[in-house]
Amino acid sequence: MRASSPMPRLFGRGALALVIGAYTVYTLGPFLWLATMSVRTTGEISADHYAWPRPFHWEQFRIAWVDSDFATYFWNSAIVVVSAVAVVTLVGAAAAHALARYRFRGNRLIYGILFSSIIFPPQITLISLYQILVDYNLYNSLIGLTLVYISLQLPLTVYLLEGFFARIPQDLFDAAKMDGYGDIEIFRRIVLPIGMPAIATTLILNFIQLWNEFLFAVVLITDPEKRTLPIGIRAFMGDHFQDIGMIAAGVMISVIPVILAYAFFSEKLIRGMTAGAVK
Amino acid sequence: MATITSLRGSQAARAVSASSAAPATDPRQASWPVLAIFIAPALLIYFGLTAYPAFRTIFDSFFTIEGLERIPVGLANYKALLQDETFWVAVRNTFIWAFVAPILDVATGLLLALALYAGVPFARFLRIAWFTPVLLSYVVVAILWMWIYNYDWGVVNVVLRGLGLDALTRSWLGDPNFALASVIVTHAWKWAGFNMVVCLAAIHSLPSEVLEASELDNCGWGAKLRHIIVPMLKPTLLNLYVLAFIGKMKVFDLVWIMTGGGPLWATETVSTYVYKRAFNWNTFDLGYPSAIATVWFGVVCAAVIILNRIFRSKDRLEY
Repeated sequence: MRASSPMPRLFGRGALALVIGAYTVYTLGPFLWLATMSVRTTGEISADHYAWPRPFHWEQFRIAWVDSDFATYFWNSAIVVVSAVAVVTLVGAAAAHALARYRFRGNRLIYGILFSSIIFPPQITLISLYQILVDYNLYNSLIGLTLVYISLQLPLTVYLLEGFFARIPQDLFDAAKMDGYGDIEIFRRIVLPIGMPAIATTLILNFIQLWNEFLFAVVLITDPEKRTLPIGIRAFMGDHFQDIGMIAAGVMISVIPVILAYAFFSEKLIRGMTAGAVK
Repeated sequence: MATITSLRGSQAARAVSASSAAPATDPRQASWPVLAIFIAPALLIYFGLTAYPAFRTIFDSFFTIEGLERIPVGLANYKALLQDETFWVAVRNTFIWAFVAPILDVATGLLLALALYAGVPFARFLRIAWFTPVLLSYVVVAILWMWIYNYDWGVVNVVLRGLGLDALTRSWLGDPNFALASVIVTHAWKWAGFNMVVCLAAIHSLPSEVLEASELDNCGWGAKLRHIIVPMLKPTLLNLYVLAFIGKMKVFDLVWIMTGGGPLWATETVSTYVYKRAFNWNTFDLGYPSAIATVWFGVVCAAVIILNRIFRSKDRLEY
């Protein structure tokens, strides 16, 4: 930003501050409200929905974690998301490297095919994936859901990494070839280390998108023991509609990993999510 | 911004390599087995879990499928679709959403970006804070906003009562006239921050000479916005519009959790209707929902191509 910032002449500084303050309350307010409710009992909340927690009922989290099965949902989510992200990043990075680096016939065609599925409405694959997973005994299994998640994030991963990998200077590869590196070694010892910032961005982005995924999980998982967090919360709310304090605690449990990732990698995340939209 | 540099960088890299590469050991060539090792896993996943299911859905749309029984019915599903009033309500709602709501998203995003660009204190913090809702899952956003819209103790009605406007209080998600608008506002709440960040990056990449020249000409803020900033940001704004449009053609989670498509189909979207017909109603037929999904797949692809044509500038749109 330039030193002499162009202040709007249309509004005064006060009006601008007011608008900005109001919008900040509008975005962060609901979240803080949720946070206060998560450490209050439902009885307290019913008495006054907007009171400050006093005392802080931290045991709400223990109850949600142990008695309300949120631990199960949390670990299911963690297993599915971490394995899907690990596989999709490796597979996507390999494809992105080949597409960004090597000249071969059909390069852009393969890129286009992989990338174009980003606009597909999910229903076009959803109904058949349900049948296919039933056929292969992968319906209602975390492995089946993981496979589907890998395919969901593949286009975005290839797209983002291809863009970054294409910017690695060719000189590095020429030098590596002269030193006798093979193609696989080049990928392992040059592309992956140098591309690490980009890979980290896609890792976090894929993690958050899959952590929040709802539609495929709700169709492909029915066993309560195998629910991921989003469908676990939704099921819990269906059964205990009135138990606002416990719902809030469960929601907080699902949000905390995302907020932590955001706290540490906010710039990376924003860049990843907006890459491609900027012109 | 990032994309532009990436394109330039890759072109430069390719140009350099083209001039320096010796034909014998061209480092940009690789043998087919090597390429296969790199690309085959991705293609396998794509064909197994995206292309094959998509083709199968299109194929299935010509059958009635109940359990293991498949009865070919030709175009009967598509004919039934034309007569299906709920489907057309869902199409209307989705189109309202897809064409109108992006304007709300992009305009809010642009205004927020301009506010930050105007040089307010804590701009960095505000940018991060305003982006937060983008990261929350639809389940979380839906639950939060169901509480905000709660008739008895939701923030909206509490504030209205506090202002003495009791007449305006209502069950926001229960009133067929307001349910769709209420859910659209929630969706905009989630996505405004995304549009803000993209607009802000685009404003910062505008050539500063133009903005400085306009200041020398004593150009007012409103005129500057209308004659300089918006026209120069046009590619970005249109790109954001198309992105939001695609997102809204697919909208499911928020509607499903907040209203389930109700009341009286007021918020039914094509996605929720497909889900209901395939997995929720006890119709036990996967052929008919496959037909809806196929039609909608065609509509989304056509809409994206048409919007790309209309908005075509020198830059290719990217999603």
